[in-house]
Amino acid sequence: MNIRKTALLILVTLFGSYSVSAQMLERKRAVQDGPVEDIFLAGSIAGLSTVTALPQKNMNSMVMHNFGLVSGGIEDFYGLDGGAAVRLGIDYGVTDKLDIGIGRTGIEDVVDLRAKYVILEQLKSDKVPVQIAIKGDLGISTQKERRFDYTFTERLNYFTSVMVARKFNDKLSLQVAPMVSHFNTVVKEQNNGKLYNTIVGLGIAGRYKLNNRNALAFEYLPVLGNRNPNTKDHVAVSFEIDTGGHVFQLFFMSGRWFTEQHLLARTDTNILDLDFRFGFNINRFFGLGK
Amino acid sequence: MAQSYMTEEGSAVFYSKVPLHTFSGESENLTGIINLSNSKVDFYIDLTTLETGIEKRDRDMKETLETEKYPFAEFFGELVSDFNPDTTAEQPVTVKGEFKIHGVSQEVTIDGTLQMKPEGLVVKASWILLLEDYDIVPPSLLFVKVDQEQEIEIEALLKPVEN
Repeated sequence: MNIRKTALLILVTLFGSYSVSAQMLERKRAVQDGPVEDIFLAGSIAGLSTVTALPQKNMNSMVMHNFGLVSGGIEDFYGLDGGAAVRLGIDYGVTDKLDIGIGRTGIEDVVDLRAKYVILEQLKSDKVPVQIAIKGDLGISTQKERRFDYTFTERLNYFTSVMVARKFNDKLSLQVAPMVSHFNTVVKEQNNGKLYNTIVGLGIAGRYKLNNRNALAFEYLPVLGNRNPNTKDHVAVSFEIDTGGHVFQLFFMSGRWFTEQHLLARTDTNILDLDFRFGFNINRFFGLGK
Repeated sequence: MAQSYMTEEGSAVFYSKVPLHTFSGESENLTGIINLSNSKVDFYIDLTTLETGIEKRDRDMKETLETEKYPFAEFFGELVSDFNPDTTAEQPVTVKGEFKIHGVSQEVTIDGTLQMKPEGLVVKASWILLLEDYDIVPPSLLFVKVDQEQEIEIEALLKPVEN
């Protein structure tokens, strides 16, 4: 009998506490169909831009550099003696969808102005399955040239692309981007074939997250159609580290540049010949108000 | 006269100190109910709705709080001080109950104010939450370490519930 009473007491107590918790509001997750976050870790991989734009009033300051060819061997300390090609840049999120930026590349003193606009955002609900962004970049070669007397217009080069990307799951994102570059001036250094002012290409990129902090990424920029003599398709393979406010990207890339128009028109090393260089980008993100 | 007052769009803010500056995270998704007849107070928030203004920091915060595993911060308790619903003056009140975040519950006593207005009941409260009390390990990024003390502020207008 005593045992039964105890059991009853336990039941009543349980039931009692149950009814107390029944007074609690049901815990419901907030409904958030919104844009998919974090398709790529940053606005670019090594040199290729991604569909990822900065949130409004966020700034990304970038130090992008690569060194000489690893195939230079130990005498050249695997390219690190070769001197760095550096692009310093700042991008700013005017809105959540529009970024504007400026950068300067040490090679040929190219200053470039760029803008990226997200036309369509991939949604968590998959009602929009892809993210689409357009990019434009205007490069100005400001280097003093002894042999020629360039006009301002002759110093300009242009780039535009339409980037289509999809984040397939938490780990994998892929992007394709038809692209066109145009140089107002091309200078023939050797007597071997025709140089093209306009070059068409395709940017292919991907990212695979290894964990919350680290990812592997790649970019591949095959030229379609006319190409400058002795140029090769640019490739980069990157290891990305996300620390919260920073994204570090450590990579091997065949191209020398961080502006896509130059990667398309000027990459003359072939990654298949093991002609690639070590490089890294530092992206530092700042929030400048809400 | 209504006995229960409820909101699904209260605001909750936390202030986090890191060396050299303070940042805050905000959400407008604070859901809660105050029942004046039995003094029960019940609030919760989906932590993934907190925004700090930097997307990357948001991700970091969600990771630290393990929001996939523990999506809510919640308080369930009761008013332990008197409240007179017949005046429209702001009155100091105290609630006592369980606060739960990151899967850890702690008994807490929180001071705040209640004010009866024509459109409903306005609640304001703030308190200091110690991360270690809830087994929350603040991320240490490069050289920056988030302070243990997080100031939490809530403010909401609770509308009368008819039933």
